[in-house]
Amino acid sequence: MYRSQKLSLRYYTAAVALFGVMIVFGLLSALYYLYPSLLFNVFNFNMSKILHIDTLVIWLLMGFLGAVYWYLPKELGREVEGMWLAELMFWVFCAAVVVVAAVFVFVQYGAANEFSMWFINQGRKYVEAPRWAAIGIVVVMLVFAYNVIATCIKARKMTGIMWVLVLDLIPLLAVYLDAFPAVTNMSVDLYWWWWLVHMWVESTWEVLIGCVMALVLMDVMGTSRRIVETWLYIEVMLVLGAGILGLGHHYFWIGTPQYWLSIGGFFSALEPLPLLGMVVHAIYDAGTHRMKTNNQPAFWWITAEAFGNFIGAGIWGFMMTLPQINLFSHGTQWTVSHGHFAFYGAYVCGVIAVLYVAKQQVSGADVLGGRAWKWGFGLLNFGMVGMVMGLLLAGMAQAFYGRAMGGSTLMAFTTASENPWFVSGMYARMLFGVVFAAGYVVLVYDLLTSPRRVPALQAQPEPA
Amino acid sequence: MTASALIETAALLGLFVLAGGGYGSLYSVGRLWARPALIRAGSVCWIAAFALALTIALRTPLDIGWKLLILASALVYAVIPPLIWRYLERLHHEQEIRR
Repeated sequence: MYRSQKLSLRYYTAAVALFGVMIVFGLLSALYYLYPSLLFNVFNFNMSKILHIDTLVIWLLMGFLGAVYWYLPKELGREVEGMWLAELMFWVFCAAVVVVAAVFVFVQYGAANEFSMWFINQGRKYVEAPRWAAIGIVVVMLVFAYNVIATCIKARKMTGIMWVLVLDLIPLLAVYLDAFPAVTNMSVDLYWWWWLVHMWVESTWEVLIGCVMALVLMDVMGTSRRIVETWLYIEVMLVLGAGILGLGHHYFWIGTPQYWLSIGGFFSALEPLPLLGMVVHAIYDAGTHRMKTNNQPAFWWITAEAFGNFIGAGIWGFMMTLPQINLFSHGTQWTVSHGHFAFYGAYVCGVIAVLYVAKQQVSGADVLGGRAWKWGFGLLNFGMVGMVMGLLLAGMAQAFYGRAMGGSTLMAFTTASENPWFVSGMYARMLFGVVFAAGYVVLVYDLLTSPRRVPALQAQPEPA
Repeated sequence: MTASALIETAALLGLFVLAGGGYGSLYSVGRLWARPALIRAGSVCWIAAFALALTIALRTPLDIGWKLLILASALVYAVIPPLIWRYLERLHHEQEIRR
């Protein structure tokens, strides 16, 4: 095993641990909707929500970094350049996450001054980490970029996947610089803040997970390099064509020019088309291999990714992306429903697939199967579907009663929050959140236990 | 847009994409297992998607531009699965020959 793959395992461990923290704070956040005075003035809803979302971002990022460190030496046939720096950065990253989490839990907030911005909370949604930590993330990502680029140069080898990955690192780093607030005008600030959130989630991360999935597909299903690279190029084209300008679908209620709403609606409306293509491709690939693979869990999580992405981003997104609907649904639990499903489909399933790839190699098992992973797969998917259905119900009630009927007043918001449809949706979310948490426990159990020895399948994957 | 129209339109939009996805899935599984009945079921899904697009165009308060976009999408949905399937077959065939 390469040294960078050992580092990758550390990243996976940290990612899975933070996945658990994310679930804990997700459940706690869900509880506040049922018991609004819960932990009042001790640990308020806003802090729980911050920890839920920030750990989501960090665990997925750690999963991506782990996946790249895992595959980089395999792809280029040599150890990753600058490993000592990469290892140091891993510990810096972990220490920073622990310190920031401790500050969020115990200090929570400070006065509106420079000190708070630097050491407590930057005050920007999803990137609340204080400025010193945000600078730390930039350093970690710079080292990561150095590792990737320097290894390519030393190896004197560039594959199509590596080109896409290297080029993706530029916007990945550049848009994160948006995390540093520099303007005091709220509209201007939010305008640029969405560049960070949208360009990471719906552009650069999409390309990054595309690269990772391309490597996983070659590894697990033996799909040929030419096929995965062709699809990766198509994905990049679609991201550039539809993803970037879909940015406009966020520009509601923040004072941006109205033309953005039409631009955003138009390009977002195109997004289900490539996702439909992905579904066809997933079925074709699954059929070509007759569902036979030596790594069943990874195979099923890859398949879940294609379908989850289509349903979460495609169906759930299209339901609310056109401006006349988005005007009402924006910022309700409806959006939360879409966000949960799309993130889960596009990223979570992919990262879990990578975890199983690593498990197979680490355990030395020829075949990865058993029953525990099926329970984890079932509970996580069932829990997620239940949660998003509950959130959809609650969000539609908010849009209907609070926005369209009530005119978005404070009183209408309160009335909608007490509506039985909203309340039942929130109870359903809580219940299925517990199911999801149970799925996480089974997933961790399965990842940590040694697989039973089973002879390998006759049909081996095609060589890449 | 009224409150009822909001929910109806959103539901129709979601169902439209769901039907498109049903078409793509059934068409692909039908081709994979060589089951014409599944391919026909896929076609029924596409007809449903087109009917939903027409309903959106005729009954919802969306602006005309969005209605046209949805009708055009319904037509594009019709060609995506066969087009991609053919492309994948060709790609895999070329790969086989190369090996």
